Amino acid sequence: MSIIDEFIDRYHRLSRRRLMFAVLFFVVAAVSVIMSLGFGTYHISLTEALNTFIDHISGGVVDRKDDLYVWDIRLPRAIGAAFIGAGLAMGGVVMQNLMQNPLAEPYTMGVSSGAFLGAVLSMMLGFSVVPALSGDMAVVCNAFLFSLIPVAIITLVSRFKKLSPTAIILLGIAIMYVFSSITQYLMVTAEAETLASAYHWRVGSLSKVTWENLPFLVVFVTVISVILYTFHRKLDAMYSGDRCAQTLGVNPSLLRGVCLVLVSLMTAAVVSFTGTIGFIGLVGPHIARMFVGSSNKLLMPSAVAFGAAFLILADTVAKVSGVNGLPVGVISSMVGGPLFLYILIKKNRKVWM
Amino acid sequence: MNPIESSDELVTRYHRQALRKLLVLVVSVVGVIVVVGLFSVSVYDSVSIMEAYGIIWDHIMGVQHAPRSTEWWADRFIWNTVMPRVVAAIVAGASLAAAGALMQSLMNNPLADPYSTGISSGACFGAIMALVLGLTINSLSGQSGMVVNAFLGSLIPVAIVILISKRMPVSPASLILVGTALSYFFSSMVTYMMVITDADTLQNAYIWQVGTLDTVTWESIPLMFGVTVVGSAFVMFLSRQLNILSLGDANAKTLGLDVEKFRIVCLLVMAVMTASIVCFTGTIGFLGLVAPHLVRLLIGSDNRFVIPIAMAMGAFILVLADYIAMSVSDVPVGVVMSIIGSPIFFALILWQKKGYGTVY
Repeated sequence: MSIIDEFIDRYHRLSRRRLMFAVLFFVVAAVSVIMSLGFGTYHISLTEALNTFIDHISGGVVDRKDDLYVWDIRLPRAIGAAFIGAGLAMGGVVMQNLMQNPLAEPYTMGVSSGAFLGAVLSMMLGFSVVPALSGDMAVVCNAFLFSLIPVAIITLVSRFKKLSPTAIILLGIAIMYVFSSITQYLMVTAEAETLASAYHWRVGSLSKVTWENLPFLVVFVTVISVILYTFHRKLDAMYSGDRCAQTLGVNPSLLRGVCLVLVSLMTAAVVSFTGTIGFIGLVGPHIARMFVGSSNKLLMPSAVAFGAAFLILADTVAKVSGVNGLPVGVISSMVGGPLFLYILIKKNRKVWM
Repeated sequence: MNPIESSDELVTRYHRQALRKLLVLVVSVVGVIVVVGLFSVSVYDSVSIMEAYGIIWDHIMGVQHAPRSTEWWADRFIWNTVMPRVVAAIVAGASLAAAGALMQSLMNNPLADPYSTGISSGACFGAIMALVLGLTINSLSGQSGMVVNAFLGSLIPVAIVILISKRMPVSPASLILVGTALSYFFSSMVTYMMVITDADTLQNAYIWQVGTLDTVTWESIPLMFGVTVVGSAFVMFLSRQLNILSLGDANAKTLGLDVEKFRIVCLLVMAVMTASIVCFTGTIGFLGLVAPHLVRLLIGSDNRFVIPIAMAMGAFILVLADYIAMSVSDVPVGVVMSIIGSPIFFALILWQKKGYGTVY
């Protein structure tokens, strides 16, 4: 066998292995959705839960109470977790490519600080952007609209001035600091109880996902992820720098502008319902990248599947730990941090560039 | 830029840039002095601003005033309430800015700041463990227990990074990612403690996290000051190597720099510097990230100048913000800093000229 054949052979083996990992991520995600139906504070075994699920689909509800828990509470929550994890991981992949920076994540543009300010304004001052709304809906609506302000400002500025990725990141940081300092001021001057509820909002929880708001989430994440996926080749080109991208026929500023808006919309949709669940958007893409490489064609779906699986599993632990137990964001960082570290050392290779 | 330039033009341009550096430095230092005066007058308003300077000068020179005279009272007020705060602000500002500049060069990343390796979340972890669970190292209680806990806590993530650095590539990207993983881990523990505790303790913990100079006394100063002087001297001593590092790891190696070892040593110095500040003040953000950028935007990115000037600028920003925070009352200093500083930062990024500091 000549050396070239050997190289080709090795390349094929590598591609096969990567594809296998991608498929594996999807299988894990699917299994964890089903598994998560059997876990929670309400005691019902996994097989019973699955039977209830099948009964509901085939139209014959046996036990109303079981059905309520499995179909109306756990299923939307599991699906919601899958889409939220997927959306955040997708956003992370796109942002890291766009900004050519391993630290970039969906929240880099200030989406999370905007959302939090919106939520806090509604919780503490009763301010609502859409006057007709009050209570939880006002919080969600405020969070959604405020989280789009940073990207709106940056889009506006980029009409007048050409911005480098670094400049965009720094502008994002500047806006983020303004928002979070106002939030901090409100938090520090608030009553202890109000502060506690605002803090709990920020930590993030999936318990607010129901059949009513799930379609909104699913549509946003699916549509935007599909659009972003069609850019996968262009984003590959961006990964190697603006100049390279230009040589390869991509308009970097245009692509960046479009993608930023899309990612922000998707992240805003996710964050406004759940609070700012961190970690997945930043680390999900990196973990996926270590297994499948950095070609976006495979990386994007793998990261999506990994994000979904990871958040469902984290949320399952959160559900089991009870009402006053561990929030999902805490679990994902507590488990994911060391896991990420382990993979980083074990793989002992460059994860970026 | 015009390729054909007479040497005269080059010389004038060089002079203009040198002047610019000097100007930024002088403005920062004068700014600090002015704010110190204003601060003293706002606390003890029966002396004029010049008299306040005189009193501070006298104290430093060791002049004793007659007991219960105006000067004596002014001296007591200014020296016991204003000065610890002001000195702490100057030291903390300078130290965080130097550490920020160091980190950004070390990691070759404009997003890096002194807290990038998890120092802040480690410190919070320590402090909030003392506050919420009452767990302290050698069972100190109250304020000092928190300080010791925060100091040790903030060194844990860096210790871990250094321990595992033998088993992974010490590239900027992997160091940052390891730091991020660690800080996620520690902040998840912090979040957990915050969530399980009652609302009042959460409030205290939150206020600690936001950062304040209210709790600083003369006892805190020696450690802060000593570490900052030694640390920043060290950083300035290494500024040439940092410049080399900004060419990228491969080039730096060719120029004879042991990149991996250099990075680890710098990381350790930076960690101790930041820890000595954070344990007394809580995690004051914004400064470590933005002060070096501000300076680079104004004078370019030569570390030999960026580091000292960023220190002066950092001290000025923090003192000024603390003065405003105190006059408005109840506003945390970090909030003042971000609200005033961010728009300036925003404008500077937009109107940066080619040639002076483009940020990286």
